[in-house]
Amino acid sequence: MLKLFSVKDKQKQQQEAAANVGKPGKLSAGELRIQKDMAELNLPSNITISFPDGKDKLMHFFIAIRPDEGIYRGGKFNFEFTVPPGYPHDAPKVLCATKVYHPNIDLEGKICLNILREDWKPVLSISSVIYGLQFLFLDPNPDDPLNKEAAQMFVDQPRQFEQYVQRAIQYGTYINNVHFPACSASC
Amino acid sequence: MAFEIKVKKWHAVAAWTWEADDVCGICRAPFDGCPPECKYPGDDSPVVWGACQHAFHLQCIQKWLSSAAEQKCPMCRQAWEYKRAAE
Repeated sequence: MLKLFSVKDKQKQQQEAAANVGKPGKLSAGELRIQKDMAELNLPSNITISFPDGKDKLMHFFIAIRPDEGIYRGGKFNFEFTVPPGYPHDAPKVLCATKVYHPNIDLEGKICLNILREDWKPVLSISSVIYGLQFLFLDPNPDDPLNKEAAQMFVDQPRQFEQYVQRAIQYGTYINNVHFPACSASC
Repeated sequence: MAFEIKVKKWHAVAAWTWEADDVCGICRAPFDGCPPECKYPGDDSPVVWGACQHAFHLQCIQKWLSSAAEQKCPMCRQAWEYKRAAE
């Protein structure tokens, strides 16, 4: 019976592919799902979203997180989301566009968050990823570091780590010869 | 005095629904509707249950299982097994 379905599916896909030629307006499965994610998105006041390519291009957007507590309070951190056509079977691709001294974010903006890689599953949504990112700022995980220096300092000298991070957010600073520009939420 | 009514013809109307409420967790379309790959609800996009009691559109769970390294329910991460129909 299952085989029957797949034969039927294949035929249908071919028919639809033929019918869709010259009809670029039809939304892909990934776009339909993203529309639903966006409709359900209920962001707290410290998180904002923007669509650089216009509001009908939902597969590419930016999220700004302004933590109001914890080590990273007062900062504003931008994330670039690129949603692949295979969404939700493939995870969204997320880069941190703000340079930040963080155990789980490297200097190129790559992020170590389980649900963006090995633990992604298609019942998750854009909200789940945003919650995950917010959690990274409240509770950095030094056991699974991308920036090993930062993870080491976070464990060995937590006070100094917090001072560095706060100085970077407010004024911009050098940490181990790397410049971190100011990224205060108030400017 | 009573009317005598003779039924000459009748036309039955029925409504159906899957025994699953809500929407499919994968495509977020209602179970009574169909996932984006399908055109018609019903036989074209059946709802299937796992042994863990989580339900998905057949096409949605098949697509996920065929791309995932391990066969696990996307809701609860238990090993995925199709629930057999009640006998």
